[in-house]
Amino acid sequence: MAKVEQKGTLSKSDLRDFFREMLLIRRFEEKVEERFRAGELPGFLHVAIGQEAVAVGVCRALEENDIIASTHRAHGHTLAKGTTPNELMAELYGKLEGCSHGYGGSMHLYDIERGNMGANAVVGGGLPAIVGAALAFKFRSEPRVGVAFFGDGATNIGTFHESLNLAQLWNVPAVFVCENNHWAESTPGWQHMPIEDISQRAVAFGMKSIKVDGQDVEAVYKATRRALEHARSGKGPVFLAVNTYRLVGHYIGDPQVYRSKEELEETRATQDPIEHLRTKLELSEDEVEEIDREVREIVDASVEFAKNGTDPKPEDALKNIYA
Amino acid sequence: MATEIKLPRLGQGMESGTIVKWLKSEGDKVEKGEPLYELDTDKVTQEVEADASGVLLKIAISSGEVEVGKTIAVIGEQGEEVATEVEKPADDGAGAQAVGEDAQEEGSAARAREQDREQGRRASSQMNEQVTEIPQPSGDNGGRVKASPLARRIARERGIDLSAVAGTGPDGRVVAEDVERSAASAGPVQLAAPAATEGVEVQQLSSMRKTIARRLTEAWQAPVFQLGITVDMGRALELRKRLVELNAEGSVKPTISDLLTKVCAAALIRHRPVNALYKGDAVELYPTANIGIAVAVPNGLVVPVIPGCERKSIAEIAATRAAVVERARAGKLQQSDLDGGTFTISNLGMFGIERFVAVLNPPQAAILAVGSIEDRVVAVDGRPAVRPRMELTLTCDHRAIDGATGAEFLRDVKAFLEEPGLAL
Amino acid sequence: MPELSYREAVRDALSRAMREDEDVFIMGEDIAEMGGSMGVTQGMVDEFGPERVRNTPISEMALAGAAIGAAMQGMRPVAEIMYEDFLTLAAEQIVNQAAKHRYMSGGQLTVPVTFRTQGGAGWSPGAQHAQQLESWFVHIPGLKVVFASTPTDVRGLLWSSIYDDNPVVFFEHRTLYGLKEDVPDELEPIPLGKARTHRQGDDVTVIATGRLVHESLAAAEEAEKEGVSVEVVDPRTLQPLDEEALISSVKKTNRCVVAHEAVTRGGFGAEVAAVIQYGAFDWLDAPVERVGAKFAPLPFAPVMEEFVVPHQADVLAAIYRTVGRTSDGN
Repeated sequence: MAKVEQKGTLSKSDLRDFFREMLLIRRFEEKVEERFRAGELPGFLHVAIGQEAVAVGVCRALEENDIIASTHRAHGHTLAKGTTPNELMAELYGKLEGCSHGYGGSMHLYDIERGNMGANAVVGGGLPAIVGAALAFKFRSEPRVGVAFFGDGATNIGTFHESLNLAQLWNVPAVFVCENNHWAESTPGWQHMPIEDISQRAVAFGMKSIKVDGQDVEAVYKATRRALEHARSGKGPVFLAVNTYRLVGHYIGDPQVYRSKEELEETRATQDPIEHLRTKLELSEDEVEEIDREVREIVDASVEFAKNGTDPKPEDALKNIYA
Repeated sequence: MATEIKLPRLGQGMESGTIVKWLKSEGDKVEKGEPLYELDTDKVTQEVEADASGVLLKIAISSGEVEVGKTIAVIGEQGEEVATEVEKPADDGAGAQAVGEDAQEEGSAARAREQDREQGRRASSQMNEQVTEIPQPSGDNGGRVKASPLARRIARERGIDLSAVAGTGPDGRVVAEDVERSAASAGPVQLAAPAATEGVEVQQLSSMRKTIARRLTEAWQAPVFQLGITVDMGRALELRKRLVELNAEGSVKPTISDLLTKVCAAALIRHRPVNALYKGDAVELYPTANIGIAVAVPNGLVVPVIPGCERKSIAEIAATRAAVVERARAGKLQQSDLDGGTFTISNLGMFGIERFVAVLNPPQAAILAVGSIEDRVVAVDGRPAVRPRMELTLTCDHRAIDGATGAEFLRDVKAFLEEPGLAL
Repeated sequence: MPELSYREAVRDALSRAMREDEDVFIMGEDIAEMGGSMGVTQGMVDEFGPERVRNTPISEMALAGAAIGAAMQGMRPVAEIMYEDFLTLAAEQIVNQAAKHRYMSGGQLTVPVTFRTQGGAGWSPGAQHAQQLESWFVHIPGLKVVFASTPTDVRGLLWSSIYDDNPVVFFEHRTLYGLKEDVPDELEPIPLGKARTHRQGDDVTVIATGRLVHESLAAAEEAEKEGVSVEVVDPRTLQPLDEEALISSVKKTNRCVVAHEAVTRGGFGAEVAAVIQYGAFDWLDAPVERVGAKFAPLPFAPVMEEFVVPHQADVLAAIYRTVGRTSDGN
């Protein structure tokens, strides 16, 4: 994964890189769906198909020592933050080579060395820790930022309000990235939020907010840079209201009985962030095919890697409980 | 290349679904993502999309319940050959361990995770056989009998001594069943303690008797064998007479038993395996012969020990023997008098008993039963003669001593008694 | 040897840690100028400033969670939850997050956070301000639980809790805050997982926590006069539990009473009784007795509150029952 040449400006080559990264995430998630339906993946999984631009746009904007905390829909964030497809797939297969060594699974993906403080299965569960991390950075005068991902559904839970309140009160370097895909599982936005403009949530805490189109990776990148700058310079935390779309169900296998077919078709046809970028970059069919072939190989290899991985021993269950 | 369409796992825990109806017919063109058929699961009836684009070459299962992973249709190119019998694919590396002879279908990988789960469950049950989570501090019982509360209550109600009951419960505990069994086998005397019938004298076991009972019960469980030998006591009796003549005024007169003790000590040192204690997972061979002499006392039997017999002269043995027997009869034995025995001699000769078999004195590996000295007609140099003869019977714990070892020991005892000089 | 109250001992441990170690800071509701609702952190903001003695809004989830987040970055925060009843609010972060991060990550990180809290009845606080919930947290793998009952113990154990790399839920008892005792000049860290025998005895072992340690000692004095010799043991750390010490004591005395202020049903005493029943089965001459609060929310009216909450007399009655006497000693 090449680093963006000069932070803040995006060259064509940077964007092509983003395209590749997003396509990698897309193919990875499709493969995960496929393997799940084949019965190979235990537990239950939530894929980020449609939200790749948010993951890539935000994570690529981060500095080396910034950290993230993610949600139950964590694969995109985890890959974008630097965990290899091999490590991620191995974790989904429950192998020791997985990023959480088989202990966490899809919703508890950790990669501490790469600044990923963990995905969280509890809605809003990871936000307070990001506030605490940002506080620690402040205590130590480190120029680092803590970034929390969460969805529109999470803006209703106590931890969201308490965390934003505290972060703003203590002026800590945090960015709260709300991926508003307009669904809280099966409940549409209008049914769970009494307001329409989600960035209004930040006003209650006196926090700066930035709105951005989540299907435009360049826009996401730029908005994130601004938010990070604000937080890092000591001006305080930022609420990044990202408008995005979930092109699939809440979980793999979700028949989405609650969603109109027309809406789903329409959204898939018009809101694919990868299609948007492809158009913007004017990539030819051949170019796309080549990139696609490359990423598919990587994804297939990750499945091989995972399947050949090492199963934990039953007794390993009793390790890692206490330090 | 034709793609096999298999019934997908649409939710964790889904094992099968029911195909309600196909939305496309054989020969129709299909786009990937287009609804292909309707499926009924536990939760909902839904449309399932096609995984591939092409022509629907074959519908393998038109309706009904299907297991996850089974092939239900084939999509491919117009004109492609499809076998009438849609083949089950070989293992596509589902990452599962092989399950017997069965080919691994994709969907049956759901079973593979099931195998992982089975493995986890099995490992957990294996742990159950070992130790519980709560640590069991080690160390002995300090004399406390391990018995369940219920066993104690029954024993209390029936007047049964728990220490005499063998335990078969968890960790060798005495449980109710053991007490019941013990009550049944002991017979009517142990039922309902008070109210004895007329004329019957009920003797409650003294603690000495209880201990004896317990130890003998323990001894009874040892696999033993007995060896018998007859000794010509002519030389021994002569020696004894001589010793008595030489005896200092006031000192204890040596007896045949004392001589026998000395002779046994010499033989024990030459045959250490007989001078041994059996300790369950080890046999302890002792360097010194501490010989216990069985002594009858009022209401019981004790076995005081004369230590280091191989180093004592017959006179010293006699003196020690007399002192300790005196203490025994007066009921003044110390624990140190009773400890440390490696071998026991039990002599009923003074009662005219010619031969008998003694019960082991555990944990000692052997015990010698001594009979009376009787004049018998035997062959000497081919002609009848009358000789004083004494029968010895050695009882051995076969877990510690083998036949040959015991025999060699006993042969030497006889040899030393018949030719005392050999013991020097 | 200086005399310190339990409250001062807590403050002493916190202050010493903060003086020595920049990574230690405290946060909680009203802990700065007010010095905490129990006065524990009195004066600390003057010494350490408002950054390190940090007031928080009334946000138990964020307060607990932020402490967790800072701990994940290597600091050693001590978060105060004003009343242990409010642990219910912070519980999501303590139970779902702090206890499990290390495990779910496959051992990639530690969460060296300490949550201090207090509870205790006897002053008509009502049902939502006096619960004793320690057993809930003993039940969660990944957490350690400490409950000290004396100034020396609370000081040494708080220090060890701060420096333990695992999340610790540290319970203090309200009615003990004023208890004074001579403590060593230097703070002596007390290792977690070690019980303390307050009083030796031969006839019955009383295993007690918190306020009930002192009730049990008083009961032991009374029992002594009636010829019953009582041993009083305080486990001090509830998780990990010093099972060996408790079992050894009961093997010596053959009788056991477990006493705590928490409700008996499903209380920590149930766990201890199971440990004793299993580990000392053949040594028990009487069933294991449990002393705790009756099964009711805490009433307001003093006459009712005293009825519900356990006292010295309850421990004494239990002691007498184990030796086969009636509850009044006959």
